[in-house]
Amino acid sequence: MTDRRWSSPVFRLKGHLDAILTGAKYLITPRATVRYPEEVIELPEGYRGFIEYKKDICISCGLCATVCPANAMKMYVERAAEPGEEAPAEEVKPKRYPGINYTRCIFCGFCVDVCPTGALEHVETHDVAYEDFNSMIYPPGEFAAGPPKPEFDTPPRRLRPTMDERRGIAYEPAD
Amino acid sequence: MMGLLEWILDLLLSPWLFVPLIYPGLISAFAVLLFIIWFERKLAAKVQLRYGPLYVLKRLGGAIQLVADLLRYLFAEPIVPDQADRLAFIFGPILLFASSYIAAIAIPISYDFYAFRSEISLLVVLGLNTLAPAFNLVIGWGSNNKFGLIGGLREGFLITADEIPMFVSALAMAVLYGTMDLVRMVELQSEWLWGIALNPLAAVTFFVLMLLSTSRFPFEIVEAESEIVMGPFTEYSGILYGLTMGASYVKLYVLSLLFAILFLGGWEPLPPLEFPGSWLILPGAVLFLKALVIMCLSVFMRAVYPRYRIDQALRLAWHYLFPASILSVFLSLLVLSGWSI
Repeated sequence: MTDRRWSSPVFRLKGHLDAILTGAKYLITPRATVRYPEEVIELPEGYRGFIEYKKDICISCGLCATVCPANAMKMYVERAAEPGEEAPAEEVKPKRYPGINYTRCIFCGFCVDVCPTGALEHVETHDVAYEDFNSMIYPPGEFAAGPPKPEFDTPPRRLRPTMDERRGIAYEPAD
Repeated sequence: MMGLLEWILDLLLSPWLFVPLIYPGLISAFAVLLFIIWFERKLAAKVQLRYGPLYVLKRLGGAIQLVADLLRYLFAEPIVPDQADRLAFIFGPILLFASSYIAAIAIPISYDFYAFRSEISLLVVLGLNTLAPAFNLVIGWGSNNKFGLIGGLREGFLITADEIPMFVSALAMAVLYGTMDLVRMVELQSEWLWGIALNPLAAVTFFVLMLLSTSRFPFEIVEAESEIVMGPFTEYSGILYGLTMGASYVKLYVLSLLFAILFLGGWEPLPPLEFPGSWLILPGAVLFLKALVIMCLSVFMRAVYPRYRIDQALRLAWHYLFPASILSVFLSLLVLSGWSI
């Protein structure tokens, strides 16, 4: 059942005026856009960005690969030395290390949560462009080398999001 | 050499070439086109708290975005579908654009500068303006596409619904001024009051019908992207599409000039300035500014309104605007009788 008042032309005319005035009001409201490559939002603590891997404290438990819901984490077999070489038995024994495929990763953070030694950690980086899919796959060696860093032509202004009672989300300079 | 240059300048400044070719004709129509589409996008973006076009000439807020778009249209291939009527398909947009701006030739830009002065120049402008929608029908039929056909038929419905009340509300002003000569109308408005003060009902009706006949929001029913792709222009690409898109804006430009002359006192009042060429530039600039304000107001509606259904638009036109336009004729008569007492 629609409002009966809409059958009156006067009421409808008032509706049109209200609509145009609302448009005019928003015409003088400040913009909400963050002009991304020039302005960057300061990220909150615990932000789930790319993953940093510390190979020296990894115990090769494989929990991260097991828990990964997107099959992005995968254990790679690595040997420090090939069998038959003159080397201690410890180094010939195959060990497994995780590598990550960022074409699959959904940044859920399960691997970080499940890691018993804290070898996996999130960093703030989340904005990297790749030229092809192959370069988005990181085997253990490259994974351990650290997450990629985004490159800006000019250092961006940093903005901090704040809640504004009237406008909802608003941004202020971070420093 | 100097003689030749002067001769060319004289030729260009002669009204019968200057008016159709430079102002208010083709070249200024193109300039307005480039400005108003950018401004429309910018305005809608501002109301939605966005930036809109920005990165083409960033210092001026992306002001030459439309030049970039035009270049893209020029270099894109205009594809003609196999099943389309080739003649209608190719010449439709060209004639549509031409007939949209051709009405500008009858618009005077000062008391003594016009292509021709006629007793019925108001009728000439309105009549020539009515030509354009017919080509929308031709395009819709010729492109042999169901969306094109539906769009063309919608245009057919809307022509009758908007042109008749528009003629009647313009007639109201003709009755009020006692003439259909646009130059004389401006003369009379400078002696009395602006037309919008004398007959606001006709002004409002004419404005809404202007939106309706140039398919601005909320009456963007012929194109209606979310319903029938692009209406009659569905099959178009390249510069042919550019022409069809520009046509309605050019029509809006011509009608805004007419609105400024009918209701906003044309080129009066002139600022008291004297400089070489001011006899030509000043009245034209004042008229242009008024038309520009009207155009900006019309494109602002895009930011505010959703689209009407075709039946809602027809109901609005026949049930409200048509009676309102007839009432405005009586209002004119009332004002006239009040004036003579």
